[in-house]
Amino acid sequence: MKQLIAGLRRGTEAVAAAMLAALFFVFLVQIAARYLFNVPMGWTVEVCLTLWLWLVFWGGGLCLRASDHIRFDLLYLSVNRPTQRIFGAIAALIILIAFAASFLPTVDYVWFYKIKRSNTLGIRLHYVFGIYLLFMIAIMVRYGNVLLNFLRRKEDIQGQIIGYARHDEGAIK
Amino acid sequence: MSQAFGLALLVLGGLAAIGAPIALSMVTAAVFYLFLAGQDMSLASEQFIQAVYDSTLLLAVPLFIAAANIMNVGAISDRLLEFCKAMVGRFKGGMAQVDILVSLIFSGMSGSAVADAAGVGQVTIKMMLKTGHYTPGFAGAVVAASATIGPIIPPSIPMVLYALVSNTSIGYLFLGGVVPGLMMTLALMAMTSVIAHRRGIPAEEAVPLRQIPGVTLRAMPALMLPVILLGGIYGGATTPTEAAAVAALYALVVSALWYRSLSLKSLYGVFVDSARSSASVGLVIGSALIFNYVVAAERIPETLSQFMVSLDLSRGGFLAFTMVLFLFLGFFLDATTIILVVIPLFLPTAMALGIDPVHFGVVSVVNCMIGLITPPYGILLFVVNGTTGIPIKAIVRESVPFLIALLLSLVAIALFPELVLWLPRLFGYEG
Amino acid sequence: QDKPVLRLSSVNSATDQRAVALETVFGPAIKDFATFQPTWGGTLFKQGTELEAISRGNLEMSIASAQELSNFFPEFSVFSAGYLHRDAAHQVAVFNDPLMQPFKDKAEAELGVKLLTVMYLGRRQVNLNSDKEIKTPADMAGFKLRMPPSDAWQFLGKSLGANPVPVPFAELYTALQTGAVDGQDNPLPTVMDAKFYEVTKQIVLTSHLVDLNYLTLSKKVWDGLSPENQAKLQKAADDAAEFGRQNQLKKEDELVEGLKAKGLKIYEPDLGAFRSTVQKAYLDSDFSKAWPADIVDKINALAK
Ligand code: NA
Ligand code: NA
Repeated sequence: MKQLIAGLRRGTEAVAAAMLAALFFVFLVQIAARYLFNVPMGWTVEVCLTLWLWLVFWGGGLCLRASDHIRFDLLYLSVNRPTQRIFGAIAALIILIAFAASFLPTVDYVWFYKIKRSNTLGIRLHYVFGIYLLFMIAIMVRYGNVLLNFLRRKEDIQGQIIGYARHDEGAIK
Repeated sequence: MSQAFGLALLVLGGLAAIGAPIALSMVTAAVFYLFLAGQDMSLASEQFIQAVYDSTLLLAVPLFIAAANIMNVGAISDRLLEFCKAMVGRFKGGMAQVDILVSLIFSGMSGSAVADAAGVGQVTIKMMLKTGHYTPGFAGAVVAASATIGPIIPPSIPMVLYALVSNTSIGYLFLGGVVPGLMMTLALMAMTSVIAHRRGIPAEEAVPLRQIPGVTLRAMPALMLPVILLGGIYGGATTPTEAAAVAALYALVVSALWYRSLSLKSLYGVFVDSARSSASVGLVIGSALIFNYVVAAERIPETLSQFMVSLDLSRGGFLAFTMVLFLFLGFFLDATTIILVVIPLFLPTAMALGIDPVHFGVVSVVNCMIGLITPPYGILLFVVNGTTGIPIKAIVRESVPFLIALLLSLVAIALFPELVLWLPRLFGYEG
Repeated sequence: QDKPVLRLSSVNSATDQRAVALETVFGPAIKDFATFQPTWGGTLFKQGTELEAISRGNLEMSIASAQELSNFFPEFSVFSAGYLHRDAAHQVAVFNDPLMQPFKDKAEAELGVKLLTVMYLGRRQVNLNSDKEIKTPADMAGFKLRMPPSDAWQFLGKSLGANPVPVPFAELYTALQTGAVDGQDNPLPTVMDAKFYEVTKQIVLTSHLVDLNYLTLSKKVWDGLSPENQAKLQKAADDAAEFGRQNQLKKEDELVEGLKAKGLKIYEPDLGAFRSTVQKAYLDSDFSKAWPADIVDKINALAK
């Protein structure tokens, strides 16, 4: 099970890295086509925006560790670990409620876009925006798990936020 | 303002305070608002998705993050560090001064503060920490504060937005930002110097003069980066946004071919890390824009402007009031929202009182940029936290003196319009 | 019964002639039976997402372009084709002609959006930062012309003989200044408002697109009004559009002199050459495959 999760994580990271590399490459193609060859291309902007959308929600849902999320840690970092865990559980519960409550309306929203095509490539937009549903599911699984671990009194190392210390080994991520 | 809005703010504040991820707190609070206001709950998702899908100007952010990470792994940062040490290391707090100078140089090529902090800021934070004389919080605070200069020195996306809503010349606005930008730079450097002396941040070991040519030569490819980017933009090869991709390509080529310090494996690691940072920064920026909808739906801007009219202020009073108001709104709102939604409500009054639109614009943009480093919603704090992991708590504590330096600059340019208008007038502005 | 609130979301600023017309003419005229509540600057809904917001019941009104509608219904691209409408009056004639009915019906049936009236945006002109005199589309060869980022717009740029580039509007001024692009196309008021005259040298009066918007309303809201109020609202919309149209036409006329005074060279090219090249490009393109048969002839016949 642990191995499977580690393997999946490597896989999702590889996909995110590939999306960023593609974004980089398409940007370079866009500049070269316009400046070096004077044959500007219209499709590059849309491809970049689509890749960016997917990178944010794919990465945000599947690749971010708890500590990678940007959070306002003023209060959190000044309380002891048991209190932090209670904070974490309350936050998880509220987030879970909101995401669950808005999930079906969001499915309906994304599905609506089957009748609209994107500006340049003419892709049906429910394919493009569908990534957000994956993001929502990933968040619900993540925070459902945090809540379960709390109820089972299991220490959740994943959920611990320790701030800068983890970078002391060397490279800032 | 409705009850639903009040409760949503409570949920947002509460969640953020107990350390829930900012992006998820925003979505959650918005969903609560929509539920209580009896609106379609998919609107939170709608606004989030469209904010990210619409962010053409933010496409520079992931590329600047990647460029900075390549520079870190590929020894470019190390060579730059060596060079900076040789140049200003002999002064107290030298490395922090270097960051502020580098920010000034980079502000000439990027139009966005976020891009500055995500890119060059990451590199200089690492440099400061390597010396061992700076706390992570201080390093983060210097970088966040100096990134606010980016959109004051041209080119500048916020100035363009102001020009669009105010019917003012972009060219003169750009010129109007130059002196205030330099003033902010000097104010930050002076404050750094004061702190360095008080804390006794030591100077680095002085590098013997005869070594300097060698150090410079080794750092040359890295030092050329700003030259290449500026040349690219002002030579018409790239837009300021596209310059980010050129920066990443250049860092890649120099690391791989010149310094030969970039393996395929480490390159893969760079892309994974950059993708992760980009996602966390993208989530925060996109989710914050959900609240543009909520604020507009609650018709907050209209309420505010009616209140303004009821106050019946003098010219100085008006200027003071708007500055305090924009600072206050800057705690919670994104700079773009303030410029596009709030400022237009005050422009007619400003014009009627005889306030120069270029002066008002530059002062307002400086004001909004200060809002980028004020908690709870300070996008530069989030970006530094997202790209380096330095706790926001630490950054906020250390950024107080820099905030004071920036506020003093703001007061100076608000009181003395000549500081803003001198340069535009030199180029023919009749205002 | 409460008066319905008509929320409108649009990306243009509050000083835009469309905003002024709606706030001064439309809003007051319907205030007895509905509350008009506009939001400018695109803060409620992003540009290009208003139609789906209306369709999903989250918004009541918008100012929609033909390009936007063509993302749902490709046949709308005919109204974004170059050199189709001759002038502002021609737009009105086309909109009120029976040929428009199938378009209106489709938007109502499939999106729940009623096209109330047609608004005049202005004649788009080519605005270059080069000195080279432009007579025919052939003279445009090699020019990097900024066009809005969508397929329909890029095609229009290409049909003018230029190399179209999609640059975000917020970056356009800098791109013109540095020469990342050689020019852009917009109606004269935009050249003035966005200060493009500061960084460009000439305007070629190609009038390649007589640009329009549709004022839209939720079908559900419309159906909820009494026939009498429907008629009042329709008249208010038409009056507001007419008011905005006259203002914009006046502004365009004045701006030829106004922009000359700013030092720009302004002249008319060989319009016949432009018209025939552009029209042919459209008829040979994939766009025209989605157009109803004979529609171009019918539209031409309505020109005075
Ligand atoms: Na700048
Ligand atoms: Na703030």
